[in-house]
Amino acid sequence: MSNRPPGEKKPVLQAPLATEAITQVKRLSDKQPTTFIGRMKNELQFIRGRGAFEISIVLAVLLIGYIVASVISPTGFAFLNPNNLSGVISQSIPVLAILGLAAGILMIAGEFDLSLGPAITFNAIVFIKFSESFGLAAGIIGGILSGVFIALVNGSIVVFTRIPSFIATLGMSFFWAGASIFVNGTTPAILTKSRDEVMVFLFAQDFGSFRSQLVWLLILGVLAWFFLHRHKLGNHIFAVGGNESAAEAISINSKKIKLIAFATFGGLVGFASILIAVRTSSMQPGGSATQDFTLFAIAAAVVGGTSLNGGRGSVIGIIVGAALIELIRNGLLLAKAPGFYITLFVGITIVIASIFNKVMEGKAR
Amino acid sequence: MSTPLLRVQGVTKKYGPNTVLNDVSFEIGKSEVVGLLGDNGAGKSTLVKIMSGVVDATAGEFFWDGTKIENINREKTEELGVETIFQDSALVPQMSITRNIFMGREITNKLGLMKIKEMDAITADVLDSVVTIEGIKSPKQLVSSLSGGQAQAVAIARAVHFKRSLLILDEPTSALAVRATEALLDYLRQLKGEGVSSVLVTHNLHHAYQVCDRHIVMNHGRKILDVRKEDTTVEELTAAVVGGAEGIRRYREGKK
Repeated sequence: MSNRPPGEKKPVLQAPLATEAITQVKRLSDKQPTTFIGRMKNELQFIRGRGAFEISIVLAVLLIGYIVASVISPTGFAFLNPNNLSGVISQSIPVLAILGLAAGILMIAGEFDLSLGPAITFNAIVFIKFSESFGLAAGIIGGILSGVFIALVNGSIVVFTRIPSFIATLGMSFFWAGASIFVNGTTPAILTKSRDEVMVFLFAQDFGSFRSQLVWLLILGVLAWFFLHRHKLGNHIFAVGGNESAAEAISINSKKIKLIAFATFGGLVGFASILIAVRTSSMQPGGSATQDFTLFAIAAAVVGGTSLNGGRGSVIGIIVGAALIELIRNGLLLAKAPGFYITLFVGITIVIASIFNKVMEGKAR
Repeated sequence: MSTPLLRVQGVTKKYGPNTVLNDVSFEIGKSEVVGLLGDNGAGKSTLVKIMSGVVDATAGEFFWDGTKIENINREKTEELGVETIFQDSALVPQMSITRNIFMGREITNKLGLMKIKEMDAITADVLDSVVTIEGIKSPKQLVSSLSGGQAQAVAIARAVHFKRSLLILDEPTSALAVRATEALLDYLRQLKGEGVSSVLVTHNLHHAYQVCDRHIVMNHGRKILDVRKEDTTVEELTAAVVGGAEGIRRYREGKK
């Protein structure tokens, strides 16, 4: 230590014992890579095991397989058929991915919302009713705010009573299913006079090989990425989900952060509800059509590397996870697998992906 | 004697019918290392939570540098510069070192977006200049990949970097290997030189005795001993922790 060059900053605290844990080493600030490639390599080294990278490879392999199969047999496996690309893929992936992002953000904060499916029904009915009575703009705002409202009600119950979100939102899922019947009666809410060109252009326009929904996914994906991975609130969401007491010890208000996560969840679910309502033009209160979305959204997040215990996950991973689930569903349909096999394979995918993530999580330690 | 950094007067905490802390008063001087000792259930953890503003006391007064604090809560203690490093939960394991160091104090632009490069650079500098920790490859490394000693050192580096004035360490040595413990105790000695007061909460008397200037022993929610290091021995502290007030009496009688 005495042979340091003069002028070099001395550590404020020094461990005189030459222990293996704590001792004088090469200075960290000197050895950070400065070139672009060096930085990329460095970046890659430390994102390994965080989910998104590995699952993207799985998706890429699957996609290549599909494309090859489709080129070899365009009629037997019509994956590249524009009808399939724009009609199936770019309608189903964005909806599931946006719902997956919603569920994923909440899971990163350490919470669940099992009332997602019934909330979609409720939001869609609000959207349809507002659009019919007050016009499209009111409908969009109403649908999104309805989502935020529902999530904040659920979130407040979870945050202020400290009931596990699993139980609280399970109960609330029945409440919201009933609430949509209370609001609309048992007949379906139908988009009729307000279903115009503007609405279709915004939420369901077919551009040949893709649709408006895909554009929305890109926009929301970028916003979600900046929010979760670059904004300080996103950082607080990770902190609260990863270790709530450590976050509170550093004076992060975990209740506030969890409510923000719930509100974000609700806004995204509200938006996805609009996409679903415009696609189907109607919504049946109390119906089971939206029920599956609850667990599929959580599945997309988990397949994409989001931890069920909170604190871990990424926007890219979740979108890839949603794409993977929908592609497998699509592939089975194209291969003419009988209906019930499809859920069977989706189930297997989810379990395998979770095991895969668990292994990767172990490696990252 | 100069004004103490923190003076706690008559703190009582009741959870329903249970009195966890009973009329506890003490002082923490500037640049002083105080050992807070006691067996499990003595009320140490509750006292730490009250001092760091996480839990409200049922009764009691707090004076910071001679000025009375009306409502002690987490925002207030943050403003005063109290940092608590809780027993192996000071950091978020799934997050990088940089994000842990800047957790809650992120450097952001006007939109609230974090300046990651700048934060990484400062972190690298902090890890070099505040505490030197071997084996850390990058500020981007996840805390879950660090050893217990490295993680504690990162938590301490954070407190020092943000110029905290009172550092409360709750059982910091319980999860550490022997060598890492030695290094940690050495940091505490050096923190004094930086003008930082610290409270070391532990039930390991030997660790406390090595570094603390003063020892406070708790037993069943009461303070039973408050002595300067010069005026006590490991044996007396052991008797107090194990036997309570009765233990101290017997120990002193035995010595006569």
